[in-house]
Amino acid sequence: MSRAETGPLTRLGVPLVVAGAAIVVGYLFSVGLDGYFVYLGMSAIVAGIALLGLGVVTGSAGMVSLCQLTFAAVGAWVVSGLNRIGAPGGFLVWLVCGGVAAGLVGVLVGLPALRLRGINLAVVTLGLAAAADLTLVQIQFPGTVDGVSVDRPEAFSDDRNYFWLGTIVLTACCLLVHFLRKTRWGSGWQAVAFSERGTAAAGASVRTSKLSAFAVSAALGGVAGGLLTGQVGLAFPASFTAMQSLALYVLAIMSGAHLIDMAVFGAVLWVAVPELLKRWGVPQDWGFVVFGLLGTHALTTGGNLGTAVRELWRRRSKGAAGVELSAPPAEVDMPPPGEPVLVVRDLSVSFGEVKALAGVNLSVPSNGVLGVIGPNGAGKSTLVDIISGFLPQATGSVELDGRPLNGLSPTRRARAGLRRTFQQDRVPAGLTVGAYVRFVARRRLSSSEIDEALEFFGCPPAKTPLRRVDVGARRLVEVVGHLLARPKVLLLDEPAAGLPHEEHVALGLRLRQVPARFGVSVLLIEHDLDLVRSVCDTITVLDFGQVLASGPQAEVLANPDVLKAYMGETELL
Amino acid sequence: MLQGALAGLAAGGLYAVLAVCLTLMSRLVRVVNFAQSATGMFGCYVAVHLSIQVGLPTWAGTVVGILIGGALSALLGWIISTWLAEADIGTRSAVTVAVLLLLISLSFILFGNKPQPFHPILDGPAFSVNGVVVSQVTVVTVLLSVVIAVGCRALLSKTSFGLELRALSERPTTAELMGIPAKPLAVAVWAVTGLLSTLVISIVAPSQSNDATSLSMLVVPAAAAALLGGFRRLDLAVVGGLVLGMAQGAVAQVDSLSVVRYFLPFLVIVGLLLWSQRKEVWDVAR
Repeated sequence: MSRAETGPLTRLGVPLVVAGAAIVVGYLFSVGLDGYFVYLGMSAIVAGIALLGLGVVTGSAGMVSLCQLTFAAVGAWVVSGLNRIGAPGGFLVWLVCGGVAAGLVGVLVGLPALRLRGINLAVVTLGLAAAADLTLVQIQFPGTVDGVSVDRPEAFSDDRNYFWLGTIVLTACCLLVHFLRKTRWGSGWQAVAFSERGTAAAGASVRTSKLSAFAVSAALGGVAGGLLTGQVGLAFPASFTAMQSLALYVLAIMSGAHLIDMAVFGAVLWVAVPELLKRWGVPQDWGFVVFGLLGTHALTTGGNLGTAVRELWRRRSKGAAGVELSAPPAEVDMPPPGEPVLVVRDLSVSFGEVKALAGVNLSVPSNGVLGVIGPNGAGKSTLVDIISGFLPQATGSVELDGRPLNGLSPTRRARAGLRRTFQQDRVPAGLTVGAYVRFVARRRLSSSEIDEALEFFGCPPAKTPLRRVDVGARRLVEVVGHLLARPKVLLLDEPAAGLPHEEHVALGLRLRQVPARFGVSVLLIEHDLDLVRSVCDTITVLDFGQVLASGPQAEVLANPDVLKAYMGETELL
Repeated sequence: MLQGALAGLAAGGLYAVLAVCLTLMSRLVRVVNFAQSATGMFGCYVAVHLSIQVGLPTWAGTVVGILIGGALSALLGWIISTWLAEADIGTRSAVTVAVLLLLISLSFILFGNKPQPFHPILDGPAFSVNGVVVSQVTVVTVLLSVVIAVGCRALLSKTSFGLELRALSERPTTAELMGIPAKPLAVAVWAVTGLLSTLVISIVAPSQSNDATSLSMLVVPAAAAALLGGFRRLDLAVVGGLVLGMAQGAVAQVDSLSVVRYFLPFLVIVGLLLWSQRKEVWDVAR
């Protein structure tokens, strides 16, 4: 099987061809459809752009945003304001200004949401939507009171041409979202939705990821609002109520708007459901009741239309991809361990009355692998958390290559060359193996470099979606990503958990070659003594938060105190 | 200013009760219930409908409305604790957003989108301070908020029922293994908060702007108040509600500040969040 990711031609070409086709279809619709349907279609386009934005913030980045139409109102405000004062540039420039302005408002509103979990953002955005609702009714849009309607661009002044312009703008927005998703920002959105810790450990800023998602979403909302103003000529508060924002959010969840086609489909529903109800003589308010019911269903079952359709389409390909580690790796020359590169002194932390770690000293030599073992609850994972910066309340010092790391955030430490992996699955399922590895590595990688590293650890090929990769293999993909980042030190928290036992030693043989192959020193936390013995020359033993023994492998494992603490009194070694 | 502040106290009491409900929900059943006031709104509208269209006495209609509010809330609680028992607070709360939308549109269909002709349950002044009249509604809602907060606190800390509830909220799995009936308890919490919010909205709604959207959006100032207590502390939630109501009332006195009044809950939310999140906090324990 080819391990290469798709080439640049397909990566760029296919979306552009689809976009071209969409614009042609838009033109055909604009000339062929009945005038009323052109009008409805324009409403669907506006909703589509707004949904696309919601797809970014709720679908990709996993946050709850309930004020999408407030951002639309900002866009509408800017467009009608610029039209009112006769600003230069014309409609399209105003539209872009509206988008940018809404994006800026999004950043302002999102700032308090930087470290917020999804639910706090929901409270903030609902608050904004409610306040904007009342305010807009009171102050109205510029030009509305004196009836100055917004000038459409000359070439697109009639409804049919304006609809075609709408399709072009929608297509441009879809392309924008598509390509943004492929960038570091986009991977960051996926990562932050799945795990903030995982994002920070990859050296990406949780703050930037959330804020960029929110800003992009708001900007798209602004464009939608501006386009709507051009459609109706005058902007009215009734188009931007909190109720409709809520309905759009629910629709985004229900349709799975993080998938671009589903955002467009959701937009069709947005227009079609009330229209059909109207034709059947049912009050249109039932439309929102339908959305509410379907949304509740989608949220309680955790599925949405988009993924459901895609799963039918792909007919569930073969099952999960796993790890293949059977053959031993080729021999390499091992450089001898050198000077300490990571030095930890007097590390302590307490949780309330419990002293989780007390006065721990250890050092990882360059080109070396230090094993840290200890019984359950000895403080091994806490140690990794402290060194990687997730427990800022800890005392003591951490030095990387002579540079003190105290006070730095996990993101900064990761960028300084101190990486870690997690015991739990922190790999976002929405990316492919290759995209995730590139995201974690934070540097330019050739496809062959990625393929080689993946193959060395027996991981599935780069183009495999992580969704189809089993948990054990995901955690090795995580290791590969961090190794390709070429940090000075990598802290591995039980990398073998989730792998079948017979593959532990095979993994160990590979980990032993990590300093030689990747130039990375390793601190390995492990339960499995077979694995530790096959990898580590030096071992530190933790027990009840203190260092029980430290030194060369044979010496430490023969220490009677270690035997007693770690293995109990019986002879297990 | 004082007159405005005292006039705002009725709304403040309403915010306080809703904030207490939100806090209880978030603490005990891991939900920020965006449909909290919408459930109350729906119950009240049923009450109005019963007394105006069916001809039930106001008190009887109100009682039925309150029971319906409680039942609606219980139903929602049952749905969430059946299908989302293990889900995180974000997903569970997102469901209530969908329900909020559902209830508002349902009320448009059933009762129209105009404010309802409420019969006030309480009417007239209670007493006056320095010539400023304090209405009965104000006295009752403020007292109610304090009584509910104190009562809930006592219930949670003094009774074995409260102990079970806390066990359930802090260590759900352990609690279930010990034989504490998780689902019935959770549904009971939902039902009680539904009853309380319908009760307090029935009292205040006649003297407020009482269209379906306004009543449902009461959850915003209530959330602002609950945030003051960090969705944990009942006493601060009450204080937050009362202060917010008074501040809004005071600002409403000045015409040029009316937009500020609309944004007050939002600004309070943002301010409190910035303050409470000033230190880095991670999403999960490890």
